[in-house]
Amino acid sequence: MSAPSNHRETISSLIFLSPFLILFAIFLIFPIIYSFYLSFFDASKGFGLSNLHFVGFENYVNLLGFHFEEGAFKLNDPAFWWSIAVTFIYGGLSIPLGIGASLMLALLLHNKLAGRNFFRSAFFLPNILDMLVVGVIWTLIYAPKYGALAQITTYFFGGDQFFNNGGMLSSPFTALPAVIIAMVLKGAGFGMVLFLAALQNIPEAVYEAADIDGASKWDQFWLITLPLLKPILFFMGVTGIIGSLNAFTEIYAMTAGGPQIVLGGETLGSTQVAGYYLYKQFDGGRHGYAAAISYVLLAITLLLTWLQKKFVAGDKA
Amino acid sequence: MTSSAPTRVLLFCLLLIGLILISTGLCSQMLRLGSMLLAVSTTTEAPAAAELPPITDQTVVKNSATSSEIPILLTPAGRRMEAFNPAVSFFKFLLTAALVFWVVARWLRTPIILRGEFLKTMFLYEALMVGVIVVLFPFFWMVCTSFKPSGTELKINISNPFDVVPTNPTLNNFKKVLKIEPGNTASDAKPQNKEDAEEQKKNFGTYFLNSLIVASTAAFFVTLFASMAGYVFAKKELPYKSTMFGIFMATMMIPGMMFMVPQFFMICKMGLFGTKWAMFLPHLASVFGVFMLKQFMETIPSSLIEAARIDGASEWQIFRIVIIPLSMPILLTLFLLTFLFHWSNFLWQLIVTDFQEPLSITLPVALSLFRGQYTSDLGLIMSASCFSVVPIVILFLIAQRYFIEGMTQGAVKE
Repeated sequence: MSAPSNHRETISSLIFLSPFLILFAIFLIFPIIYSFYLSFFDASKGFGLSNLHFVGFENYVNLLGFHFEEGAFKLNDPAFWWSIAVTFIYGGLSIPLGIGASLMLALLLHNKLAGRNFFRSAFFLPNILDMLVVGVIWTLIYAPKYGALAQITTYFFGGDQFFNNGGMLSSPFTALPAVIIAMVLKGAGFGMVLFLAALQNIPEAVYEAADIDGASKWDQFWLITLPLLKPILFFMGVTGIIGSLNAFTEIYAMTAGGPQIVLGGETLGSTQVAGYYLYKQFDGGRHGYAAAISYVLLAITLLLTWLQKKFVAGDKA
Repeated sequence: MTSSAPTRVLLFCLLLIGLILISTGLCSQMLRLGSMLLAVSTTTEAPAAAELPPITDQTVVKNSATSSEIPILLTPAGRRMEAFNPAVSFFKFLLTAALVFWVVARWLRTPIILRGEFLKTMFLYEALMVGVIVVLFPFFWMVCTSFKPSGTELKINISNPFDVVPTNPTLNNFKKVLKIEPGNTASDAKPQNKEDAEEQKKNFGTYFLNSLIVASTAAFFVTLFASMAGYVFAKKELPYKSTMFGIFMATMMIPGMMFMVPQFFMICKMGLFGTKWAMFLPHLASVFGVFMLKQFMETIPSSLIEAARIDGASEWQIFRIVIIPLSMPILLTLFLLTFLFHWSNFLWQLIVTDFQEPLSITLPVALSLFRGQYTSDLGLIMSASCFSVVPIVILFLIAQRYFIEGMTQGAVKE
């Protein structure tokens, strides 16, 4: 192409790109900078941009720092560190469980079965339904006395048992697992479809060769199937981490951060994940503080993604 | 699979028992749900009678286990449903018997060497069926509970805790959620004054419409802008094109929570707080959409574009006449996925909703408010939930291929 037509091509490209580019710049690039700017401000006198005042690093110090009290180190904001820990527990349990459940479903479905598409759709369906509604329904399933779980267990084990007296969501030790179970069941179909597509791409000949070499089915799974599914595992790991850091609606719907647990003299919400803590601060009018939390969360995400790229995807054979 | 004949027969019998259990359970629940829907839709409830059936004509269900409890008064729909019971039991046994007969016949016809394989298949089906039941039970339960009359929502049939279909269905929950007063026909539903009319409008029909408007407008603009951008990245020349695309992709790694605070301030500064624009404007730049459309548009042969150009088509004409029609399936996919995203974009819609204007509330926010208001009235909460779930399920049944392929595309291409 000649130079003038190249010039025209660039202009027409820019015109086509401009609506997206403008929106992208305004609503995705600018907020990153703006958020950084906001994190140095505080609006202690209530809502509004007018009464923001510059506080320097105070938000970050309050968030991450510690102080001496009665001869011991005390964190300035233990609830934040706790929320990070809860997020890690949430991710650390839900990601492997989600991968396990979806891989199991995919292996079950990766057989010559009539009606495969029916099962695929049925498992996939909960994925697209509103998270809030799913949370509400599961809250009612877990509810003591009248919840579905309570009534079914009452039928088998009598009225005086755990599911009937308090239910999963009222004990600080079972509340988070209860949320995880609901979310794993909701999300299993998505991973299943991914694994299924990947399984179908593995040539049958590889297994035949392994059969001839005398490898057991178990060995074949660990030595052939799993390594070949690595890209999907990596993808699910990354989306799982982002999902745990973004977790809000399920907690809002099911536990609202509770039930309370006392740890080292601090009363903390046993299901208060970072996303929910961020919302709480935002809702309480501490916008600058919330912006600082977002930046810390962003740093954690980038670090985790980098680590995962380095150690999981990096050693691809 | 190599196993001895007695083990095989034993396994077969065990699997057959499992099959009978699953089949009877599933058939009975599905048939009862069907009969319930039929009964509810064909019964024209006299509004007063629905709440309190006349004493002289009451039908009292006395369950042996619940004899100490208050007898349940059956609504007209409940009575009609009772009439279906023999048919339900009959078809339940018929279907299960047919299934068992068919499986046994297949088993007997299968040669001995293939029987191990047969058992495996049977086990797979049963395991998958149990999985489907576990995964979909909450939604089944939701639908059933939304038809239960107030006060008995969560009472499952005591003699059979697995029977969740109401024996006494009513449409009152839906009527309350939609604010259709019992007895109000269209003619005499004229509200007294303006305030009443406002109050009348605060129902889930309005919220449903709000969500529909927000989600479909957003989906339309996202699809339009992303297709224009995708076209540039797939087929057109632009300096620093790949660098730009790299920056786009990098932002996908950032958790969405990060944008909440600054975007909220920006919306407030723009004076859009509480408007429908605020509900979707910040989410119009869909990087995922551009990525998806770019992947697809790269497969469109460039010769088509060249041919159109030689015929004198302008850039916009090429886009409209060549690119859009050829990418229709993927555009539809993106439209549906974006629709879905905005349909359940709870957190953002919660923070930009102006609660002073109750008529602008969207469905998820309305549901969370509603839940705060009627904590104990579960039938109401469930029927409100139906407004969010049922349309999506129907949409999914119509266009499941687009949903599944679209949602999983990003990962498979990596």
